[in-house]
Amino acid sequence: MSGPGRSAALRVKLDLAAPVLDAATAALWEPSGRARRYVAYLYAMHALVRASVPLMERAARRCAELAPGDPVAGPLGRYLERHIEEERGHDEWLLADLAAAGADPAAARDGLGAPVVAGLAGAQYYWIEHHHPVALLGYIRVLEGHAPAPGLADRLAARTGLPAAAFRTVRDHADLDSGHLAALDALLDDLPLTPGQETAVAVSALHTADGVTRLFLQLAAIPGGSA
Amino acid sequence: MTDHQDALARLQAAGFDLTAFSEEQREVLSALTPHELGVLVEIKGRLDESAPEVQAHVDIAGGALF
Repeated sequence: MSGPGRSAALRVKLDLAAPVLDAATAALWEPSGRARRYVAYLYAMHALVRASVPLMERAARRCAELAPGDPVAGPLGRYLERHIEEERGHDEWLLADLAAAGADPAAARDGLGAPVVAGLAGAQYYWIEHHHPVALLGYIRVLEGHAPAPGLADRLAARTGLPAAAFRTVRDHADLDSGHLAALDALLDDLPLTPGQETAVAVSALHTADGVTRLFLQLAAIPGGSA
Repeated sequence: MTDHQDALARLQAAGFDLTAFSEEQREVLSALTPHELGVLVEIKGRLDESAPEVQAHVDIAGGALF
């Protein structure tokens, strides 16, 4: 094909959304009320992350149903099986972070989940069931592409006054996710996607960027406090 | 107006600044589908709704997703 590869083309599209998402992330970490907002962020991230492995498991099952007649389903399914194991248990990390922050993990486990979070994960279920599981790669691309920077956990701990143990998920993902993104970009470039499937990945990614932006702006609107 | 010109025109009308994009990148953007364009225009609107001064007094930045 001429022009940039698929992963580079997707990056160009996401670059258009990046200033908005960056502004929402900046608002999330605003100084006023940061400790309270960090706890709300942990609750929201648990609601989101508890869907990650089940989403990938459902997509992998759809791949198994589609293969061998579908040339994308085989390699996609193998990627998902590997990535499921990389992501498994991270919702439990967030529950431990909540407990360390003095919050109630049971409230997260039993919680409904905000509508914006349900919209993020729910759209993926729709596309997996009714279009093609390859759409999930757009969702994963946005989540992996906005991993915490090294040092973010320590800066947040210092500025919120919360114990270091409340930042395990943020700290460990700064190390984990850089390799994940490279693997995903390589997969996007190698898969024999149709133009329609490439669009599905991009729409899924942009929808995810939009949903995360909305989520962060909602968290940023939580009234300020002392830390 | 061709479809390609239309995609770039819609982006610019929504307020996106495309001057920093290379010719090859603009080619990618000129081929955006209606679904892609629709979501991007929605996203742009969210920045306009949110407080643009936010980033001026933030001492921490960076992604926060897993």
